[in-house]
Amino acid sequence: MVETSGDIVKGVGRCMPNRTRLINYYWQRTRRNKLAIFGLAFIIFLIALAAIGPLFTLDPTEANFEETNIPPVRFTIERSVYNIETDDFTTTKISGTWKHPLGTDSKGRDMLAMIVSGARVSLLVGLIATGIAIILGTIIGVVSAYLGGWVDNALMRFTDVMMTFPFFLLLVLIVFIFGPSLAFIVLAIGLTGWTGIARLIRSESLSLRTREFIVAAKALGASDNRVVFRHLIPNVISLIIIMATLSIPGVILAEAALSFIGLGDPTVPSWGIILESGQHTLDTAWWVAVEPGIMLFLTVLAFNFLGDGLRDAFDPKSNV
Amino acid sequence: MSNVILKVNNLKTYFFTRRGVVKAVDGVEFELKHGECLCLVGESGCGKTVTALSILRLFDSPPGKIVDGQISYDSLNLTECSSKQMRQIRGKDIAMVFQEAQSALNPVLTIGDQITEQMKLHLPLDSNHTRERAMTLLSEMGIPSAERVMGYYPHQLSGGMKQRVLIAMSLSCNPQILIADEPTTAVDVTIKAQILDIFRELKAKRQMSTIFITHDLAVVSEIGDRAVVMYGGKDVETAPVSEIIGKPKHPYTRGLIDCLPDSSKSAGRLTSIPGTTPNPVDMPTGCTFHPRCPKAMKICSQKEPPETAISKEHKVSCHLYT
Repeated sequence: MVETSGDIVKGVGRCMPNRTRLINYYWQRTRRNKLAIFGLAFIIFLIALAAIGPLFTLDPTEANFEETNIPPVRFTIERSVYNIETDDFTTTKISGTWKHPLGTDSKGRDMLAMIVSGARVSLLVGLIATGIAIILGTIIGVVSAYLGGWVDNALMRFTDVMMTFPFFLLLVLIVFIFGPSLAFIVLAIGLTGWTGIARLIRSESLSLRTREFIVAAKALGASDNRVVFRHLIPNVISLIIIMATLSIPGVILAEAALSFIGLGDPTVPSWGIILESGQHTLDTAWWVAVEPGIMLFLTVLAFNFLGDGLRDAFDPKSNV
Repeated sequence: MSNVILKVNNLKTYFFTRRGVVKAVDGVEFELKHGECLCLVGESGCGKTVTALSILRLFDSPPGKIVDGQISYDSLNLTECSSKQMRQIRGKDIAMVFQEAQSALNPVLTIGDQITEQMKLHLPLDSNHTRERAMTLLSEMGIPSAERVMGYYPHQLSGGMKQRVLIAMSLSCNPQILIADEPTTAVDVTIKAQILDIFRELKAKRQMSTIFITHDLAVVSEIGDRAVVMYGGKDVETAPVSEIIGKPKHPYTRGLIDCLPDSSKSAGRLTSIPGTTPNPVDMPTGCTFHPRCPKAMKICSQKEPPETAISKEHKVSCHLYT
């Protein structure tokens, strides 16, 4: 009675019998995308930099007015200094040294140390704010789709209202009211960034909700909580991963933009803060603004590449 | 054999939609006896599935609502139970096997996870015991190398195996009643035979009381003890299977049987019942079958036929027999 199906099992078994193999399968699909791998490599590098980098660099907060505005290694600039006694400009040449591989800023702080500790701040901002947004968005989206009726209506209209609110203005307002504290900025970005995620999760859950396995789970005697957390959310996890990867760079940029217009937390050296401090000295010390700018650029690019790669890998219709 | 385990009395499940009230189930009555296989038979849209879902209260509400009737199980009236009580009954006392195994299994969980889930919910067993029990059930269902299958995802199994996994799942908590909603409809004939074998075995070995929903009279004749023929949300004829097949009373039942292809008569067109199932929003008056009935009389469109007992076990709702 069962010989034939026994063969089928053996045949399939060679493909992938368990969870690790399934992760493996997605990894194989992602790996074929070179840009995604570049993105992933850069993100890993960045995380390592943020985690253990500060142990090896100088103190990023230590000012040294003997060594201000030193250019990066291999760069040389000319600086004119007005001398009161001779009533003349004396021009000196300053070259970068290995003591400060990326130069120093106008207060003589080591740029490398600042970039490294800035990586820590920017990544934390990106991860925490995205985490808040993803959790809120998933819960609101899934609950809205699963319960339906007036709950769905209320939650979705609330989402609409949140979406029409000018996000940046809201951030400025929050900073204005609560002061420029990084914790508040992160919280504010997280609490406003969930709307798109909630909508996407809702639309996906709506189609899942009517699938028979959800009814079947209820027929087993599973509670609503269990159905949502064990049967619905695992089915949207790929969507959540993609949304998270793609929203992290937006959050990092939002924080940088806030800092750039002077609303950042001045006590914490995020890349945005460094960038902002560099804009005043662009003519004498361009690297102070350019270096965090390049880091922001690469980070955003890396997360976007990885997000695109993951989306292609998770999409059963695409043939990577 | 005559002790009744589940009694459905004048059950009415309506769906209140924007286009009107859909009377999906409109006064169904039947009894399920211990250890028997009761078949619910009828065309698509006659209310078989909604009847089954009503027993477990699994239809979407709103718009669905049980407006009248009782479902008596074990001194409980299931139409009045709290949702918490219902949760404890679902899966543990009354289990359901769904039509399409493909969509009734969660694609992102392994077979093992899904079979053990219900035991975790209802039985005081630790995870080793639930796993062991799941594997035993799988092998009982004729699935080879059960241990390996436990780690598989649904898409790695064939349709027949998925159906067997579903049956194993529904049996995991030793339910008193098994409701099978067209378990043989979405599979090919070989698998169908195997699945019918499983149900036959369940009845023989476990004295399982089963409600078997199907539109296939051939299946009914193979595994059913008694059958309830449904039309337009009502039960039109209830009788032992041998009588339903051999001596059908209701014109609709007769029509269904005439539709079965007869291999002794070659050539010629297959017979069919003219027309289609009525629009459930706008049911015909009187007997809902009268527009399609070859023996319709004047009274049929005016008065709903009462249930008439032909014999102790054979009941029919038709004006021909009043």
